[in-house]
Formats: sequence, C-alpha cells, structure tokens
Amino acid sequence: MTAFIDARTIPDGQVLTPDLAIVGGGPAGVSLALALKDSKLSIALLESGGTSFDPEIQKMYTGAETGVRYEALEVGRMRALGGGTNHWGGWCRPMDAIDFEAKPWMPHSGWPFGRAALEPYYARAQALVEAGPWIYDQKGDVMAGATGPVLPLGEGGLYTSWFQFSKTRDSVLPTQFGHRYGDELRAAKNVTPYVHANVTGIRLAANGASVDHLDIATLTGKHFTVRPRMTVLAAGAMENARVMLASNDVVSAGVGNQNDLVGRFFADNPTPRDVATLVSFAGPLAAFYGSNQTLDDGAIMRATFAPTMAFRRKAQVAGSLSTVEQPVDLDEIGKAAVITTALALGVNAANAQAYSLGCGMELAPDPDRRLTLTGEKDALGLPRLKLDMRLADEDFDRFRRTLTELGRQLLASRTGLLRINCRDRQDWMKTMDWGHHHLGTTRMHEDPKQGVVNPDGLVHGIANLYVAGSGTFPSYSASNPTLNLVALTLRLADHLKKVMA
Amino acid sequence: MKRRDVMAAIAAGGIAVTAGLYRFTDLFVKHYAPTPYDDLLARLTDREQAAKLGAQLPGSFDIASQSARLRDTFRKQDLAAAANADIAAGHMVEVGGWVLPETVALLSVLAAKV
Repeated sequence: MTAFIDARTIPDGQVLTPDLAIVGGGPAGVSLALALKDSKLSIALLESGGTSFDPEIQKMYTGAETGVRYEALEVGRMRALGGGTNHWGGWCRPMDAIDFEAKPWMPHSGWPFGRAALEPYYARAQALVEAGPWIYDQKGDVMAGATGPVLPLGEGGLYTSWFQFSKTRDSVLPTQFGHRYGDELRAAKNVTPYVHANVTGIRLAANGASVDHLDIATLTGKHFTVRPRMTVLAAGAMENARVMLASNDVVSAGVGNQNDLVGRFFADNPTPRDVATLVSFAGPLAAFYGSNQTLDDGAIMRATFAPTMAFRRKAQVAGSLSTVEQPVDLDEIGKAAVITTALALGVNAANAQAYSLGCGMELAPDPDRRLTLTGEKDALGLPRLKLDMRLADEDFDRFRRTLTELGRQLLASRTGLLRINCRDRQDWMKTMDWGHHHLGTTRMHEDPKQGVVNPDGLVHGIANLYVAGSGTFPSYSASNPTLNLVALTLRLADHLKKVMA
Repeated sequence: MKRRDVMAAIAAGGIAVTAGLYRFTDLFVKHYAPTPYDDLLARLTDREQAAKLGAQLPGSFDIASQSARLRDTFRKQDLAAAANADIAAGHMVEVGGWVLPETVALLSVLAAKV
C-alpha cells in the first residue's frame, strides 16, 4: 500500500507523466479513480487540500458575490480529500426521467441523453455513496420496518417519493469519500494520490487543441508539472470553471471558453424553509415524513412530496421536493381554516396536526447566473471568482403552482389542508437557504455554442480534456446531485476505458 | 304557599332565564342579525370560524354577484358536494395562504363581510 504523496515533497521542476490526471479528490475524482483502479492506466489523482480540513487551504476558495444573497463561496465546498462529502448531509435521490428532457417552458433545459444512459451506473453509484438497498421506487406501505402509512394524496400532481441516505456512522456523518476510500486508493497499484497539489494552469498545445501539461504548485512554493495523456477536471463546478478561465495563455478567453460559456449557467438548489404549513386532519404523520427512518433491510429513508412527470408537463413546473420539517402550532386563522374546511367536507379534524414544509427547488438554467474572474488573486496567484447570483420570479411561481396542487390533493383525499406561507419574493428570501449544490458552469451539450463539454464530458475543441461532476449538468433537477454525479462519473470511466485502451 | 309551588316557580324562572340567555345573548350560541344571505350562511356549521377565515381575503368582494353564484351552486348540490366539485375541477382559492375550495372560500368571505 502506497501512502498519499504530499506534493510539497516533490522536487521543483519535476515532470510527472501519468496516462490520466484527475484534478480533484471529491466524490467525482475519487469515484473515477476507483472505477479505473484495475485498468492498465497509470493515474495521478491530484487533490489540492490535505487529508483533513485546513482553514488556510480553505481560504483559497474565497471570492466575491453580487446579486441575490448567497452563501460565501468557500462555505459550500471543502478543499480536502473527499471534497464536499466531508460535510454533506448524505441525501440521495436519482434524477427523474423528465429532468433529462428538454422542456419547452424552461429555456436551455435538457440533457443530450436520457436517464437510460445513467441507469446502468446507478446501482454502483448507490453502493459508492453507501445508501443501502435501492428503495426509491417502492411504495411506502410495503416497506418492512416503515413506521406508518403513507399520507394518501389521491389522484393528482404530487406523490410521496423517497430520499435515501448515505450510511451514517455512529449517527455522526454520512460517507466521506476521502476517509472511506483512502485505503482503496492507496492500495491501487495504478493510482497515485497526491495531496496539497494545486493545479494552477491548464497549458494547451500551441494550436489550442489539446492539453500539453498541467502546472502544479504548493502553498510552500514548490512547482512541478504533470504531462498526462488525458486530464479530467473533477474539482467541482466552481473550481473547474476557475482554472479553465484562468488558463488563458493560448486561448485568451480561457480553456474551453471560445463561446463564452465557461462559468455561465451556475445553479444551486434553493432550499427555502417553512414554505408551507401542512395540516393532517387525522393527526400525526408517520415518522418517516419528518425524520430519517431505518428500514429492516438497512435502507435509511425519508419521505418527500414530488411532482409527477405528467403534472410537471401540464403545469409547466420545475422539479421540487417538499419535505416535512417539524410540527407547528396553528394560529387562530389556521384553526378557523381547519374547522371551516373540515366541517364543509364532513371530515373529523379533532386531532389535526400541523407541520411546516421545507423544499429543495430546481432553478431554470440562466446564462447570466455566472462565475467570472476578479482581479484579486489567491496565495498561488490564481484569480479569485465572482458569482453573479440570480433567482427569477418564475422560479418561485413554478414552485407555488406545485404547492397549490399539493393543497388541492390533500383536500381531494380528505386528508388535510395546506397553507402557502410565501406570497412574494421577499417572503421567499426571508427563509432562503441553499443546498450547496454547485451545478452547471461547464454544461454538457452536443453543440459547442451551447455547451462546454460534449455528451461524453469532453471539452469541445480539446482532444484530451474532460470534465466530471455536477458542473456538467445542463439542467439540474431538485434531486441532490451527489448520487447522480457519481453515476455520471462512472459512465465517464467506461468511456475513458474505451478511448484510452 | 306550598313547597311544591315554590319549586315549580323556581324551575319556571330558571327555564325562562336560560331561554332568555340563549335567545338574547351569545352565551350558548352566537346570534346574528338577519341578513339577505342567511339561506347561504346557514350552510356553515360554524359561521364564526368561517368569518374569521374569510376576513383574511383582501380586496373587494361583490356580495350581490357572489351570493347569486353561491345560490346557483346550492340549487344543484350541498356544501360538501360543491366543495368536492371545486377540488376535482381545480377551482381553488387562497385565503390567508390557505388553499381552499372556491365555494368554501366564498362562503367564508361572505360570512366575514355581512
């Protein structure tokens, strides 16, 4: 078993020549290295952080922001082996088939392939994130160990769907890819994992059509070169865009940015809290609505209200996943609403219980929600990022239509009532939180004028540079990205095995 | 006066007082002044709660046309059936954020306005 190689110990000026350089040791980079660990390829896994969090290294992520209030750029990421999985919540859910479709009511939406292209990889991705048996598609009332019945919603636009959770160890944290797979990486004969290895430049050949080498630097002042046959950027949607834009010595706009697309279409999943109040006429909901439940087969699950594909098409709404947060007390108006409606319908609501609902929303793609470089530089001389964050009123309107349908369905099934707590943009922003899911800055499209990478993840116009991760998602889904980006990365691994054989 | 007569007088007085409290105070049941819409408002089992809810709907409310609409609705069906028909047809109205069947919402607003 080889140790991680600390890049700070590599002599200045050394040139490494692996077959494949993977830039970034987060869930995409680690998954890719694991998927290729028994291949004949020699692989250098280049992680910019160490094996644990270091605030000084984390500072490399700071940047500027404008537009809608958003988290600081260093908050939703972690510059250490394992990347974002060092602080993720473990929420998993595969994207729905409609998430891949081009939707006429949502400009720029749609993937160059359908969910079927990822299906062969989901089982392995599920295993890597350690989310247990695949139960996303099961009915709640047949799951052994489920703590209660599913709330009947009747016919309509929403249904009870399931999140699953990456295995929690000692009730502390879900699978952290660096810790969990560190030994496997070190044991792999063809993988050499480097830590503290910062890629500060992608140097193209003079014709701009291929990567010649990568400049690597450490915070201790060492500089060396990696000259691989192929490179995969897997440093996250923000950092991939940053290093591509900053590498502008051959192509002045930056690597892959000949059509001014790198950094554009940034997205996250807004997760506003207390967006609605759901009243269950019959009393408390099953425990799996408000908290994680472990089933007899070991799967950890939690219920969520998701729009059906038919409803999304008919009502022209985006993806959303509404989740019960906690029991709440009704005010006098709320009690009046419950009494009046229950009496009108002839329903007994004497034991009614109210809950607050939170949500994960899908944003529509927006080319102006983008990352650009600033004049300020980090400790290694790489320009820092500026994010122009935007939210369209239509994003909220779409979700509001979904909530209205949920309210209608609760009444149709005579099981409950719903209040929408957010009327206008100000209301939405009051309780706004974010999923820290960085998406879309190197989007995938067959057409180089509409995407940075092609459907295989290859940067348009560059023969040997790929991008992995959720930055390539051309539209986003409300599902948490980790499971999906791991599946997409496993697909990339199969592609690389073919093209590099 | 016989003891039996005293008891009867007390009982009669008690009944009279209770009946008076029932009829002329809101102690036992809420009393409302007669309105032209009592035929509609009678559909509400708890008019006070409905009024509390209906008061949350901002803006103007054309009582004449809305009451005519409600009367038309109730010529064909009772409140429960009308509410269910609204739900099935997607005729929902938000009152104070609560997503309600249109008929329930209109009746509640009417209760608040009269």
